[in-house]
Amino acid sequence: MILKNFGYFLKEALISLSRNRVLSLATVTTMAVCIFFLGVAVLLTVNAGNFMNQLESDIEIIAYLDDPLTDEELKDVETDIQSTAGVQEVTFVSKEEALQRLQEKFSQEDYDLQQTLGKNPLPNSFEIKALNPQEVAQVAQAIGDIPGIYKVNYGQGLVEKLFQVTKWVRILSMVFMVILALGAIFLIATTIRLAVFSRRKEIYLMKLIGATDWFIRWPFFIEGIMMGLIGALIAIGLLAGGYTSLINSAQTALFFIPLVSQQNFLVQVYMGLVAVGAVLGIIGTYISLNRFLNV
Amino acid sequence: MLVQFYNVTKVYTNGVKALNDVSLKIERGEFIFLMGPSGAGKSTFIKMLFREELPTQGQIFISSRSIVRMKRREVPHLRRSMGVVFQDFKLLENKTVVENIAFAMKVVGLGNREIAARTAEVINMVGLKGKEDSFPGQLSGGEQQRVGIARAIANRPLLLIADEPSGNLDMVTAEGIMELLYNINRKGTTVIMATHARELVRDAGKRIITLEAGQVVSDLCTLE
Ligand SMILES: Nc1ncnc2c1ncn2[C@@H]1O[C@H](COP(=O)(O)OP(=O)(O)O)[C@@H](O)[C@H]1O
Ligand SMILES: [Mg+2]
Repeated sequence: MILKNFGYFLKEALISLSRNRVLSLATVTTMAVCIFFLGVAVLLTVNAGNFMNQLESDIEIIAYLDDPLTDEELKDVETDIQSTAGVQEVTFVSKEEALQRLQEKFSQEDYDLQQTLGKNPLPNSFEIKALNPQEVAQVAQAIGDIPGIYKVNYGQGLVEKLFQVTKWVRILSMVFMVILALGAIFLIATTIRLAVFSRRKEIYLMKLIGATDWFIRWPFFIEGIMMGLIGALIAIGLLAGGYTSLINSAQTALFFIPLVSQQNFLVQVYMGLVAVGAVLGIIGTYISLNRFLNV
Repeated sequence: MLVQFYNVTKVYTNGVKALNDVSLKIERGEFIFLMGPSGAGKSTFIKMLFREELPTQGQIFISSRSIVRMKRREVPHLRRSMGVVFQDFKLLENKTVVENIAFAMKVVGLGNREIAARTAEVINMVGLKGKEDSFPGQLSGGEQQRVGIARAIANRPLLLIADEPSGNLDMVTAEGIMELLYNINRKGTTVIMATHARELVRDAGKRIITLEAGQVVSDLCTLE
């Protein structure tokens, strides 16, 4: 039926769009605003997630070694760490290197730490990355039990807090997006209901003449989809423009926040929003139509 | 048998009993006047025929099929076998005469060529030649009702249902509409027409069913 009558449905949809110009404009605007904010929410979530991932992956375990250890003992400890479950990467940091880093932190060339301290008091250590940042505590404990290791440090307490925070940020941003989507559907359903309401006489007539529900629905769906798409395109235009200029200025002003800027990924987000626009149009139309079809 | 009502009672959700134990039969080809004062239940009876309302109790058969037990998706087919004419015409104001009539056929899926041929035919039949491209607002009441009738018969229904089709028209215009309905009936279409105007019915020589307070109080044939 849809194929045979597609020309008719499309024509009806276009006629209705241009006849109810004010209402169509209102719906498109509503769509654009909703999709824009949905897009903002998505980008915020993605960037927050990215930031969280980065924070999490910065977490590392530092295992300080007994002093002194022979080279052979050192090798043994390293193999033991590497064979511990959940370990991704192990880097050896010699006591000289540790002192060097400390020196860099003071960064005063004329102040020689080694000379001041005399003998280097820092131990040899291993820096260990966990496969899964969430398992850092268990991994650290297992490593602490390896003979030859004198102390393990991974920011105890702080790490747990960080995970609490990231968990909540993720949950909240999901909730926020769901609320936005529901709000968008509600607003769209309301504007489309007005459009449908202004044509209820026609719908009633079609029902009495013996039109099937789908025959009546299609022109409205096409109309809803078109409004959704136009709204989505407007929103994405604004969003893409805004985000691109944000990335450009962020490189200089906000260097400490790593913005997601892979083109492929962003294009995916924008395409997703276009699809969301069409789907919102369909759902909104479906909700507002059904009441009038019950004749 | 085209229409059968068995002990049909309709109680609206607000508690009004619009039809009370109505039983009757209508044969193919009949012309029926449904009489009765305002509020007697005529419109309710009419709405039952095309299943806009369902009975609270009782059974209704159209062409021997129960429309009470009918599935929702079968309703369009029931309605395609009927044409409905309304007191307020229910024309689409933004469509021309031709478009209003063609609309009904498009809805049931006829092809464009068939639609054009039938539109010309019914416009001729109801006497609206020359008004094809007028909008309803540019037509008199009688002319608008002719468009309504043309639309109702375009799909060649078995049954033409009219609820006070001349209720908004003056006497002379009403008589013209009656002539048109008689003509349609003569060609074989069963017609059921609700009206409270005795003067239209008196000397017609048709079967008259009279409702009062939701009950059939008389069902008889007047002399021609
Ligand atoms: N949709 C409805 N809901 C509630 N009551 C109704 C409805 N339609 C009609 N009625 C009531 O049913 C009774 C019969 O109405 P109706 O069938 O329209 O009579 P008629 O067409 O003979 O004037 C009236 O009392 C009317 O108020
Ligand atoms: Mg009535």
